[in-house]
Amino acid sequence: MDSINSAVPPNEARKRNVRDRTPSFNSVPHIKGGVPKSRPSTLRNFASNSSMRSVGSDTDRSEIIAPVPRRHLLQTAESSQWLRLDTFSDTNWPSRGISPVSATSSVASNFPTSTASKRLSFSALLEQEKLSRGIPASVSYAKDREEPIEDSKSGGARRWVRWMHRHGLKVWVVPSAIVASIWVKWCIGLGTYSGHATPPMFGDYEAQRHWMELTIHLPFREWYTYDLQYWGLDYPPLTAYASWLCGKVGSLINPSWFDLYTSRGIESPESKLFMRASVVALDTLIYVPALYTFMRTWQGTRSSRTQHVALVTLLFHPALLLIDFGHFQYNSVMLGLTLLALNAFAAGYDLLGAFFFVLSLGFKQMALYYAPAIGSYLLGKCIYLGPVHGSRLFMRLAFTVTLTLILLFAPFLPPLSPSSTILAPVSRIFPFARGLFEDKVANFWCFTNVLLIKWKRMFEGREGILIKASAGLTVLGFLPGAAGLLWGGWKARLQPADLHENKTQEITVPPIPTPTLPLLPYALLTSSMSFFLFSFQVHEKTILLPLLPLTLLLSGASLNEEVWMWGVLGNNVGVFSMWPLLKKDGLGVQYFAMLLLWNRMVGHDPFRLRPNSLVAILSIAVYVTAFLLHALELLVPPPARYPDLFPVLNVLVCTPVFGLVWLWSIKRGIEVGWAIGGLPGSGAKKSGDLYNGTPKPKPNPAMESVRRDFGVRAMSLGYAPSEARRRALESLRAGSVERDVFPPPLGRR
Amino acid sequence: MSKLSPPSSPTQAHHPAIPEDQEETGSIPSKSHRNSDSKWPRWGLSRSETDVLLLSTGLKVLLFPAYRSTDFEVHRNWLAITHSLPVSQWYYDTTSEWTLDYPPFFAYFEKLLSIPAALIDPKIVDLNNLGYSEWTVIAYQRSTVILTELILGVVLLRFIRGAVDTSRQRIISASLFLHPGFLIIDHIHFQYNGFMYGILLWSILMAREGHKLSSGILFAILLNFKHIYMYLAPAYFIYLLRSYCMSVSGEILPTRFISLANAVIVVFVVSLGPFILMGQLPQLLSRLFPFTRGLNHAYWAPNAWAIVTAADRVLLQFAKRFGVALSLNESGVASTSRGLVGDTVFTVIPNIKPVQTFAITVGFQAIFLVKLWRSPTYKSFLAALTLCGYSSFMFGWHVHEKAVLLVLVPLSLLAVDSYAYFKTFLIASTAGVFSLFPLLFTPAASLIAVVYSLLWGASVLLPINRQIYEFPRSVPWVILETLENIYLVGFIALQGFVALFPLLTQNRSGSAALEFLPLLVTSVYCAIGLIWAFLRLSVIYLKQQY
Repeated sequence: MDSINSAVPPNEARKRNVRDRTPSFNSVPHIKGGVPKSRPSTLRNFASNSSMRSVGSDTDRSEIIAPVPRRHLLQTAESSQWLRLDTFSDTNWPSRGISPVSATSSVASNFPTSTASKRLSFSALLEQEKLSRGIPASVSYAKDREEPIEDSKSGGARRWVRWMHRHGLKVWVVPSAIVASIWVKWCIGLGTYSGHATPPMFGDYEAQRHWMELTIHLPFREWYTYDLQYWGLDYPPLTAYASWLCGKVGSLINPSWFDLYTSRGIESPESKLFMRASVVALDTLIYVPALYTFMRTWQGTRSSRTQHVALVTLLFHPALLLIDFGHFQYNSVMLGLTLLALNAFAAGYDLLGAFFFVLSLGFKQMALYYAPAIGSYLLGKCIYLGPVHGSRLFMRLAFTVTLTLILLFAPFLPPLSPSSTILAPVSRIFPFARGLFEDKVANFWCFTNVLLIKWKRMFEGREGILIKASAGLTVLGFLPGAAGLLWGGWKARLQPADLHENKTQEITVPPIPTPTLPLLPYALLTSSMSFFLFSFQVHEKTILLPLLPLTLLLSGASLNEEVWMWGVLGNNVGVFSMWPLLKKDGLGVQYFAMLLLWNRMVGHDPFRLRPNSLVAILSIAVYVTAFLLHALELLVPPPARYPDLFPVLNVLVCTPVFGLVWLWSIKRGIEVGWAIGGLPGSGAKKSGDLYNGTPKPKPNPAMESVRRDFGVRAMSLGYAPSEARRRALESLRAGSVERDVFPPPLGRR
Repeated sequence: MSKLSPPSSPTQAHHPAIPEDQEETGSIPSKSHRNSDSKWPRWGLSRSETDVLLLSTGLKVLLFPAYRSTDFEVHRNWLAITHSLPVSQWYYDTTSEWTLDYPPFFAYFEKLLSIPAALIDPKIVDLNNLGYSEWTVIAYQRSTVILTELILGVVLLRFIRGAVDTSRQRIISASLFLHPGFLIIDHIHFQYNGFMYGILLWSILMAREGHKLSSGILFAILLNFKHIYMYLAPAYFIYLLRSYCMSVSGEILPTRFISLANAVIVVFVVSLGPFILMGQLPQLLSRLFPFTRGLNHAYWAPNAWAIVTAADRVLLQFAKRFGVALSLNESGVASTSRGLVGDTVFTVIPNIKPVQTFAITVGFQAIFLVKLWRSPTYKSFLAALTLCGYSSFMFGWHVHEKAVLLVLVPLSLLAVDSYAYFKTFLIASTAGVFSLFPLLFTPAASLIAVVYSLLWGASVLLPINRQIYEFPRSVPWVILETLENIYLVGFIALQGFVALFPLLTQNRSGSAALEFLPLLVTSVYCAIGLIWAFLRLSVIYLKQQY
C-alpha cells in the first residue's frame, strides 16, 4: 500500500489525471460507442442542462471542475444509500461503478469493506481502487479463471453474459438472448391455452381468434355490435386493427381458419400454430425492441454487461411469457407500447412518448392503470419548465393526445360513420355492468370478501356505492405517486428568468429528461398496483401491469439490494397468484419451468434466503406458504364444501404481498423524491428562498446537513442535482465562478 | 471392480479417486465456494455447471407437450410388456406391433422404470392399453429421460475434472450435455440415448484414466443395452487387446486377457443367461437383427448410399428423358414413384447386397484399426473409435439417421485438440444435426429444433473457433477453407428451401411426386458434408503421429 501511495505525489494535477483516467477503465464502450441521439454523453448533457439557463461560455469551466454526471435512472437506490451515509453495501456492492464518469463512485463501489472506507482518506481509496482494478497483467490472468469470485454472488444470466464477453462474443449476446427468448416463448406455446377444448365458449384464445374473424368480415361500424354474447369485441380499436391484420394474413394462408361463424371454436394444429406465431411476431416487433431501447436509454450510462443482464432478465419475465404465450393474450403489445413511451420520456421526447402511450391505451384500456403516473409526470414536466415553456409543452401534449385518439377512433367518427357509432366501442370498452370482481383475484375486495365482509351480499342492489368506493380508494392509492411527480417538478422547476435569457438557445438544445424521471417507475408501480388492489372489475392477469415497472426496477438493481429483493418477490408471487388460472389452462409444467429458469437467471435462490431484512423475512414466509400450498393441492383434493379452497388460500397469501409492494413503492417514491429535491416541508423553505430570488450565499445546506466528504460525493454523482444546479446558479448570479462553490478537488488536504 | 459403481448419484462426482478435481477447479475459486455455501450441498458442481444443469432441465421440461414419435408408444409398450409379462414372454409378445427388439439389459431397465410407473398410473403398464397418451404417461416418460440423462451429465463433469485444458473441456462437456441431437432425438422424438451415450462416455473416460478393464466391462454392458454400439466394437477390441492384454513389446499377458475375457463373459451371461437357459436365444437374436429391411431407411440417412441412391434417381430421369436404352429394373421404377417410403430398389445401378456393405465397412475399419494397433494410445483410440462408428454410418446396411450421434459424440471429445479436428467436427456437426431435422416434421417442433441448434452453434462452435482458429498456410488450403465455408453457409439456403417448398407447391397439381424432394435434397446435401468430414478425419488420423 505504502509504495503505491507514494507513487502518486499529493499534486493536484496528477490527481486530476487519476480522476480522468479512472472512467476509462469502466466506461469506454458505452460512452463512446453508443447511440448518440438517445444518450448524449455526460458532459454534453451537463452542457445542455446549463445552457438552458446560463451563458454557454461560462459553463466550460464548471464542466471541467465539477462534472455533474447523468444519473442512472434506475439506480436511485444508490443515491439514498449515499445520502444516508450508513448503508455501505459491504458485500453486495454493485459490480460496476455507480457512475462511470465519477471517480469517487467507483472507489466506493469497488472497495467492499465499509469500515475501511470510512477510515481511509480519498487518495488511499483511489489506490485501493487501482489495486482492485488490477494492473493489465492480472487482468489477463483473471481471464483464464473460469469463475471469478464475483460469480458466487450473481445470477446465471450475469455469469453467461460475462462468459460471452470474455470469449469475445459480446456482439452475440443481444441476438442470442433475443433468439433464446423467442425459443422459450415458442416452447411455452406448445402447451394448451385458455379454453382449450372446452366448448361452447372456449376462452381467451377463441376470443382473440373470433375478433380476427369478425374484423376481416364485417364493416367497421358492426365491429362493436356483432353478436356480443359470443366474445363481442371489448378492447379499444388498435386491438381491432391488429386483429384485422392478423386475420388478413391468416386467411391468406388458409381462409377456413377465419370463416365467419363456421370457424368458431376451430382448434386445428395449423390454426393454433398461426395464432401462436402471431403473438410471437407482435411481441418481437413491439415488446422486444421496447426492451432493447429501454436498455439503451434508461441504463445507457451503465456497463454493457449490466445492460445485457438487464435485457436477459426482462426478456424472460415469467409472468408475461406464461400469460401471453401460454394462456394466450397480446399483453406484450400494450406493455411494449407503454415501455416505448417511457423510453421516449427518458430520451426527452415527450410528444413521442405521449403518442406511444395513447397507442398503448388504444390497444388495451388496461393501460389506464399507468395513466395517473404518466399524466402527472408530463404535468410535472410542464411545471418544471415554467409557465411559458410549460404551457407550450402542455398545449403540444394535449394536441398530440387528442390527435392520436381521433386517429385511433377515426373509423367510428362522423365523416366515416354516423355519430352514434362511437357509443358502441366506448360502452364496450368500459363495462361497469359487471360485478365488483371476478373469480378469485388477489386484490383488496376479494381478500376482505373472504375474511371480513361479504361485499356483494351487503350492497345488493346498491352497486353504485361500491363503484364509488373502489374509485375513491384507487385514487387515494395512486395519489402519493402522482403527487410526488408533480411536487418534484415544482421543486426542481426552472427559473423563468433563465429561460427568458436563453429563449433562442433553448430550441436547439437536445431534449433532456426532467429530474423527476427516476420517480416515474415507482409512480407507475404505485399507480398500477393501486388499481390492481382497489379498482373495480380486476382480473388476475392484470398483475402483469404492476409487474412491468417492478421488473424494470429490478433489472437495474444489483443483487440482494432492496429493490431487487422486492422485485423478485413481487414477480414470484405474481406468477404464483396466477397459478389457479394456469392450472386451469394446463400450463403447470410451464409454470414450474419458467419459475426455475428465471430465478436461476436473476440469481435468486429461495432456499438460501437469510432473514436479515424485512423483505427477506417476508419472502421466506411467503415461499414456505406457497410451497406448502402446492404440496397440499397436489396431495389432498379440496373438500366438497369448499371447491375453491386453494384459489382462496392463494388470494390470502398474495394480497398482503401486493399490498406491501404497493406501500413499499410509495415509501421508495418518497425516498427517491427526497434524493432529487428534498423532502416536502423540510426543504420547501430553503428552495422557496432560492426561487424567490434571494439566494443564500454560503454555507451550503448540503454541506451542513451531510458530512463533507459524502456531500461532495453525492453531489458529484448527480444525486443532488437541484443543489448543484442551485449553486451553479448562485455562482452565475454572483458573476464569478468561485472555486468553493464547486466541490473541492478530491484529495485536497 | 470398485470403479464400476454406477455414477447414478451426483455425489459420486466428487470421487476421491480423482485428486485433480481439487486442483483443477478448486484452486482459484475455492475461497468463494467454500465461504458462500456451507449451508447448501454443492455435489462438487460449480455454479456455471449448476446453471447448465438447471437451465437445460427447465428447457427440457418445457418440451413435455412437444411432438412425440411412435418411439414414445414403443417405449410405453415395453414398459407394459416388462411389467405385466414374465421374462419368458418378453421376446415373444406381439400384442402391439412395437415388439421388444433391444437387448436384455434395456428390457431390465424398462422393468425397473415400470415399477414407479405402475404406482403413478396403472394404465401406463396395461399391455392392451395401446396408444395411451394421457398427461401422466407423457410426464412420466419424459421425466425418466431427463433423470436418466443425468448419468451423461455426471460423466461429462468427470471429463472436466481430469482434463488437460479445463476450460475447453468445459465447453465441450456443456456442448455434449446440451447437444441438439439429444434434444431432438431424446426430448422431442423420444428415446433414451442420453443415458446410453453416458455409459459410452463413461467407458471412454475409464480408458482415459487408464482403467482399461472397467472400460471394457462398461462397453460390454452398453452393448447389452443397445446393440447399435456394435459399430464401435472393433475399435474397443483392438485397443483393449493391444494396450491391455499385451505388453509394449507385443507379448500376451495371460492374466489380463483372462480377466478381461471373464468380465465380459460375466456381463453377457447376466444379460443373456436367462434367455439361453430358456432356450430363447434364436428368438431373441431374430428380434435384435431383422435382416428384412432395405439398404436405406425411409428417409435416407446422409451416408454414401444416399448419394448412390440419388445418383440412381437422377440417372433414371436422364434415361427416361433421352430414351437411352438402359436395362431398367422394373420394380425399381415402381419404387421411385413411391417416393422414399419402403425399400430402395435401384433402377440403373446394380442393387447392393448386405454382404457388400458389410465388406466395405470392414475394409475401411481395418485401415484405421491397423493404425490403432500400431499406436494404441488414448487419443488414437478415440479417433479410431470415431472412425469405426463413422465407417459403419457411411457404408452400413439400413443405417438410421439417428446413428449420426455415434459419430458426433466421440468426435466432440477430439474437437478441441487442434484446428484440423475442430473444422472436421464443425462440418460433421452441422451436417449431422441438420440431417436430424426431418425427424420432426411438425412445423412447431422443427422450428424449435432449428432455433435451438442455431443457439447451440453460436454458444459452442463460435467460442472454440475463436480460440483455436489457424490461418490456412497455402493457396490450396485457402481454397479448401473457402469451399468448406460456402458449404456451411449453404445450409441457410437449404433450410429456406425446405421451409418454403411445401408452401410454394401446395396448390400446384402433381406436387405429390415432388413431396419428398426436400427430404432428398437434405439427405444428399448433408451426405456431402459428412462424407467430406469422414475423408478429412481419416486423413488426419492416418497422418498424425501418436
